[in-house]
Amino acid sequence: MIAGRVQPAPRVSRPRLFARGQRLLIYAILLIVLAAILFPIYWMATISLKLPREIYRQPSLWPKIVTLDNYRVLIEEKGFLTNIRNSLIVASSVTVLCLLIASFAAYSLVRFRYRFKGVIGRLILFAYLTPTSLLFIPLSIIVARLNLGNSLHGLIIVYLTFALPLSTWLLSGYFRSVPAELEEQAMVDGTTRIGALFRILLPLSAPGLVAVGIFTFTGAWNELLLALIFITSEDKRTVPLALQYLITGDVLLWGPIMAGAVLSAVPVVVLYLLAQRFMVQGMTHGSVKG
Amino acid sequence: MAVIASRRPTERRVLLTFARRNALWGYLFVLPACAILLGLVAYPFFYAIFISFTSRVVGDPGEWVGLANFRYLFGWSSFTKAVRNTIVLVVVSDILKLVIGLGLALILNERIRGRGLFRSFMLLPWAMPAFVAFLTWRLLFMPIGGGINLLLSESGLYTDIIDWLGQRSTAMPAVIIATVWRGFPFWCISFLAALQTVPSELYEAAKIDGANAWQRFLAVTLPSIRQVILIVVLLSSIWTANSFENIWIMTQGGPSDATMVFPVLAYFGMQSQRLGEAAAVSVAMIPVLALLVIVVTTLMREDEA
Repeated sequence: MIAGRVQPAPRVSRPRLFARGQRLLIYAILLIVLAAILFPIYWMATISLKLPREIYRQPSLWPKIVTLDNYRVLIEEKGFLTNIRNSLIVASSVTVLCLLIASFAAYSLVRFRYRFKGVIGRLILFAYLTPTSLLFIPLSIIVARLNLGNSLHGLIIVYLTFALPLSTWLLSGYFRSVPAELEEQAMVDGTTRIGALFRILLPLSAPGLVAVGIFTFTGAWNELLLALIFITSEDKRTVPLALQYLITGDVLLWGPIMAGAVLSAVPVVVLYLLAQRFMVQGMTHGSVKG
Repeated sequence: MAVIASRRPTERRVLLTFARRNALWGYLFVLPACAILLGLVAYPFFYAIFISFTSRVVGDPGEWVGLANFRYLFGWSSFTKAVRNTIVLVVVSDILKLVIGLGLALILNERIRGRGLFRSFMLLPWAMPAFVAFLTWRLLFMPIGGGINLLLSESGLYTDIIDWLGQRSTAMPAVIIATVWRGFPFWCISFLAALQTVPSELYEAAKIDGANAWQRFLAVTLPSIRQVILIVVLLSSIWTANSFENIWIMTQGGPSDATMVFPVLAYFGMQSQRLGEAAAVSVAMIPVLALLVIVVTTLMREDEA
């Protein structure tokens, strides 16, 4: 069942839970929550625009001088563009690989009948819920054995451990909501099963593919633990890794760190807000990592 | 189908081979995903259990030592603290997220002006990368340059500088605040989606029966979204118990293990090259984890059907 496809119940008849007098209290609560949500984001943005002396020596809630110097330091001195490039390579490769493999798997789980299907479906769910913190030690041994340590290729492969089960599970949900008749019709007309997948099911599930693609991309873009273990050389660091090394450095460079935080958050947040509508649908499956 | 039906004598055989070929294609399509998950999830999972029973260090596979690693863990103060901290972190942040998430969902389910705008703003903490959220919170709690101390002193509430993450009494509450900030939108949105599927007739019937708002909440709302609440609580507990970024970025488990949790302890164990013990740290939580996972997968598959 997908919430977005259900006709909403007529709004008119929904009873009011709150009396008029309580509304004021409600708005006060919402305002406080809003302030609590926005203050950290505001702080991140202003620190990224402040000069060091305004961050440490004369702190104030509002920046007096606005500067882009932190961004310059981050990009010119810390080589942040290399980190962005690495993250882009890893995240987009994981996304493409994942969408392809997961589409086949979800197609199989939703449209075909065979023994062990239930078992496989359940195992995929198990795989999704198996935490990375349980797998990273054996994975480090396996990756070293395959000579994939300290390489973006190795990172792309190990990221499939969390990306593939999630995308398969979510895509199965979308595929289930697409009626099978169109594919059956096409197959009666002589289309192969692969043709039915690529020419009918996938185009019809385009919104789902976009949403799952965004989840996969951001999941890989945000990952820290595995990157910390597998990447040892500076030129291969991804964005989260580069920023975490800035906090463990001798001098805390909060200006450039927050500049990096802003630069790495903005694309992801924009993608999320764009995909919001589809995300809520995906969430009725109760399976979106948050 | 019509074609098959018209050829009476061979119908059975055709159908049989169709089913068999169909199954074959099914297996073929699911094979790549299964192979990858077997190699990258199932194999490492059992390998981790195996390693936890050995004296493995980096560069030396070691030998079978039975339960020695686990016996060592239970006498090790960092480990017992990690157990206690993980429970505190999960339970306290779950309760806070439940109260805030459900409360806001109930409010946002009403006809409130500015509801859509608020909803978009509320998604921000969840939409931003976890490492960015926790970096920002680490900065906010800094004694110098941190926004929390500044906010407290500017508003006149408290003027002393507090090193929130540097002292044992405040480090865990600070981490919990950051974890709740980042996590509650997911709870709220999930609850909101569930609330919107509750038929309004149920509320009307309850109202006719004379139920007040609180009684309607207990009798209609809560039973209708019970399943979703349970799934969200369980999922979130699994994630929180295994989250690495929040602790690693904010405190690295310090000060003196006051915020130490399983994943960070396992990571430190790995850094000190003692893989057997490090694996035992992660493996020690499998029993509880397995229970949670089995319950939640059963619920999710019911929900899906």
